Amino acid sequence: MELTSHPPHVKQPAMSEDIHQGYRDPGLAVLKKYDIAVWDRVEIETTKGLFTGLILPRSKTEDAEHIVIKMPSGYNTGVHVESITKIKRIGRREGHYSIPEKEFPYDKRKKNVTLLGTGGTIASRLDYTTGAVVPAFSPGELYGAVPELADICNLTTTKLFGVFSENMGPEQYVVLAKEIERLIREEDIDGIVIGHGTDTMHHTGSVLSYMIQNTPIPIVLVGSQRSSDRPSSDAARNLINAVYTAAHSDIAEIMVCMFGPTSDDYGLLHVGTRVRKMHSSYRSTFRTLSDVPIAMVWPDRYVPLREYKKRRKDKDVIVNPAYDDRVTILYYYPGMKPDVIDSLIDNGYRGIVIAGTGLGHVNSALNKSLKRAVDKGITVVMTVQTLWGYVHMNVYDVGRYLLELGVIPCENMLPEAAYMKLCWVLGQTQDQKEAKEMMLKTIAHEITEREPHNGYLVYQGGIPEVEKFLSTYKK
Amino acid sequence: MTDEMKKLGFKCGMEIHQQLLTEKKLFCRCPAGLYSTDHHAEVLRHMRPTLSEMGVYDGCALMEFKTKKDILYLLNKKTVCTYEMDDTPPFPINQQALDVAIEIALLTGCSIVDEMHIARKQYLDGSIPTGFQRTGIVGINGSIPFGNKKIEVTQLSIEEDSCRERSDDKHLIKFRTDRLGMPLIEVVTDACFKTPEEAGEGVRHIGRLLRATGHVRRGLGAVRQDVNVSIEGGSRVEIKGVPRYQLIPALTRNEALRQKALLDIRKELKKRKLTKDNLKFFDCDLTDELKNSASPPLRDAIRNGHRIRGIKFEKLSGILRHPTQPGKTFASELAGRVRVIACLDEIPNIYHTDSYPEYPRNHIDLKTLRLSLKLNCDDSDVGIVVWGPDADTVTAINEIRNRIFEAFDGVPCETRQSLRNGLSDFERILPGADRMYPDTDHPPVRIANDRVLKIKDALPEPTYEVEKRLEEHGVPKDTLKSLAISDYIALIDKLHKEGRDMKLVGRILGQTVRSLKRQGVESDKVTGDRWAELITACDEKKIPSKHIEGLVTNLVAYPERSVEDIVLSVCEKIPAPS
Repeated sequence: MELTSHPPHVKQPAMSEDIHQGYRDPGLAVLKKYDIAVWDRVEIETTKGLFTGLILPRSKTEDAEHIVIKMPSGYNTGVHVESITKIKRIGRREGHYSIPEKEFPYDKRKKNVTLLGTGGTIASRLDYTTGAVVPAFSPGELYGAVPELADICNLTTTKLFGVFSENMGPEQYVVLAKEIERLIREEDIDGIVIGHGTDTMHHTGSVLSYMIQNTPIPIVLVGSQRSSDRPSSDAARNLINAVYTAAHSDIAEIMVCMFGPTSDDYGLLHVGTRVRKMHSSYRSTFRTLSDVPIAMVWPDRYVPLREYKKRRKDKDVIVNPAYDDRVTILYYYPGMKPDVIDSLIDNGYRGIVIAGTGLGHVNSALNKSLKRAVDKGITVVMTVQTLWGYVHMNVYDVGRYLLELGVIPCENMLPEAAYMKLCWVLGQTQDQKEAKEMMLKTIAHEITEREPHNGYLVYQGGIPEVEKFLSTYKK
Repeated sequence: MTDEMKKLGFKCGMEIHQQLLTEKKLFCRCPAGLYSTDHHAEVLRHMRPTLSEMGVYDGCALMEFKTKKDILYLLNKKTVCTYEMDDTPPFPINQQALDVAIEIALLTGCSIVDEMHIARKQYLDGSIPTGFQRTGIVGINGSIPFGNKKIEVTQLSIEEDSCRERSDDKHLIKFRTDRLGMPLIEVVTDACFKTPEEAGEGVRHIGRLLRATGHVRRGLGAVRQDVNVSIEGGSRVEIKGVPRYQLIPALTRNEALRQKALLDIRKELKKRKLTKDNLKFFDCDLTDELKNSASPPLRDAIRNGHRIRGIKFEKLSGILRHPTQPGKTFASELAGRVRVIACLDEIPNIYHTDSYPEYPRNHIDLKTLRLSLKLNCDDSDVGIVVWGPDADTVTAINEIRNRIFEAFDGVPCETRQSLRNGLSDFERILPGADRMYPDTDHPPVRIANDRVLKIKDALPEPTYEVEKRLEEHGVPKDTLKSLAISDYIALIDKLHKEGRDMKLVGRILGQTVRSLKRQGVESDKVTGDRWAELITACDEKKIPSKHIEGLVTNLVAYPERSVEDIVLSVCEKIPAPS
């Protein structure tokens, strides 16, 4: 689930000039006829009886034939325009869209953490009048919503942009990398937390791992699978874990911090290039693939699970925000036709990441077009759809042909990690040989030399020993 | 009694929750109506209050947060999927359930809404893993004839059922999730019931009407009432989850009297010239002073490394002894808060110098407590002690102080749980109105007119009308209620048209069927034609009533034998009519 800053059917904020937010004819005509605006308190006489309530905005994705009201009981309902015989205004109440701020306490003995906002809500409050969810972001607002943060550190916040996860792209990656460089070089901070929608968190985790190298402090991406307006949200806990990691851990890496199990227990710190969102809606959706996570984290401690780069006192971060967006991922399917590749060539793409079957295969019908691509200077790299395991293109003839054509095997790089890396590499060079060298030179665990046996764990439900384990472990 | 209630200004309204008989749950495809006693996995969650409009927390929400409970959900893979765990968004609403809800809304005289919007109603007690219940209004402004008055139905909503609590021990509450998500409707009435008896009858009346659809679940837990009671000068208090209408008269009467007692206490405080501002109190740690206490709970507390904490209120002597419910005093109001909010749930959980008359001997030396150096109570003061883990005793003392302060206002708005003996105990602060917000996971649901008309055409006859007609037919009064919700209505109409003896009809289809059922003889499979044949034969042959039970037993036992045959064999000694 994606973080949303407010419900899709409530436009926000209310200050706009539009007094008929979201209404179109025939609903709009009815409102105009009775001189009624959104946020008016009304009595609607209908063929079915009297409805009293507050006129709410109408979602543009819903039909145009209903007027939505919030009734005194707090429930909303839609009244069809055809059943309306009269609307009378009896009052007005506009939504309030501010959060009372409490000053975030400063304690010079505490660590300093900066929270960068990219969009979505980490904490929020509800406007019950309108049903809108108002995001909390400034330190004062966050302190009101998640007061535990003040026990951990001194917090400053910067809102870089307000975009949903799916709208994160090159422009945002570059701004983010430059701001992180500035923070590390110029500010006295102990760690950075980045609030991010979850859908593309692993893409951002990857690209930042290439753009920002040799960070002296923890850089932690965090989000939530259940939005923060819900009482059982994972947002506050994830944020607390992330802020704790940024302030107190000695892990100087680019990480994703999200729930370990679906239960309210520990969070996991994943390497930015090895992590992947593996379930569309579970809280415990983020998993490190082909390796183990860096550490487990609670609101007051963390337990490392493997080696990592240690925090340093210097400011010697290396930032290179290069990016070329003329790169694509090609998810291979049986019977794929060469015209797919031809169109990429014709449209000026400079890089192709193939997610091939098995050990890194595509059918031979594509060979001719792939050769044409390589000959045109396009860098073509191979990853595996299986996600776990290495590309091994020497095992079968089909793989050897592809190697001969100049397709570059990317070891056990995840398709998304390879995609972000190729964008970054081609932002620096268009030379195929150089690009190949850079792709295969490990920067931040995107390729690991060894795959530990516990790096691949997809338990199969139904098997007695698995069921036994599940019954003794909080999921 | 009734006059007494009228004098108090007794008012009562109902929220009737009735599970619907559907194959699947409301927002996922799990089976509905399947209960389990074992589980295969557990999920641990916590609830966090969300800031409300003014940036403050709802009182009820805050109370639940203060309890700092670990909430453990027990999952059985046959009855729940990832939806109930709140790890998958809702699937489109169950249309079968919506049809039944529309049917019931029409039957209760409601106007059906054009477009239903799903709302989230917050519950932070853990009974729903999301922290809110998905609910939507199907109909409003209904009305049900009830004797010579009307029960106004203010709204009818369709909603998902909550978890079943398995245990609640200190800071850990466990829930079974099988019931979670089953479709139910909530019928909300106005506060039209003016006596406890009328309230009970009203619930029975509505319950029978719902059953007439044949589309609602039956059995224990399938119907639960939230009963709202107030008296003149009192407050709305909700008694939650009352399973049977028979309990309602005693519960509501006791609640009315409790409210009266709380108003009397307020009067007494006024008489003593006490106010929230001038009330003097003092609290302190008494662990050292009471470490040699002979009282078993205090001794255990010391042994477990717990703390003992006390609070003194000046000039409050006697107030804690004031009776509130039969066998209970104002002290139990304090104990209720301590039990729920501070999670000190082993009773007794407080001692006080006003003394429960029922304190077992040796439980505490009240004199020691009164003369405790730190509390130093004189005869006009009251001292109260609590014991338990340090943080919990701090919460407990705070809650005791809060509750004492509320006594100056009279009756606090509360949700109370019903106890078996017609009494009730504190469950939580009554949630405020501000706890509803739109469910952004589910689009609005259009309820088209032709769908409503189709359901309207097939609507069952309301039970109160069936009853009236059967009474006019001459069906005996003692069988009216049960026959009006039986499968025999069409048969009775037919027999009435044929001029059969309605007393006989009542005796056979009412009394005899019921009495045989109690003995384990199920007569459901007997066809209408065979019943008609038997009743006609009994009527025409004037068969004495002593044979009737035997005849029905045989009718059930030998479906292949003709009615004539059965009559002959059972009544062979009867001389043929001359």
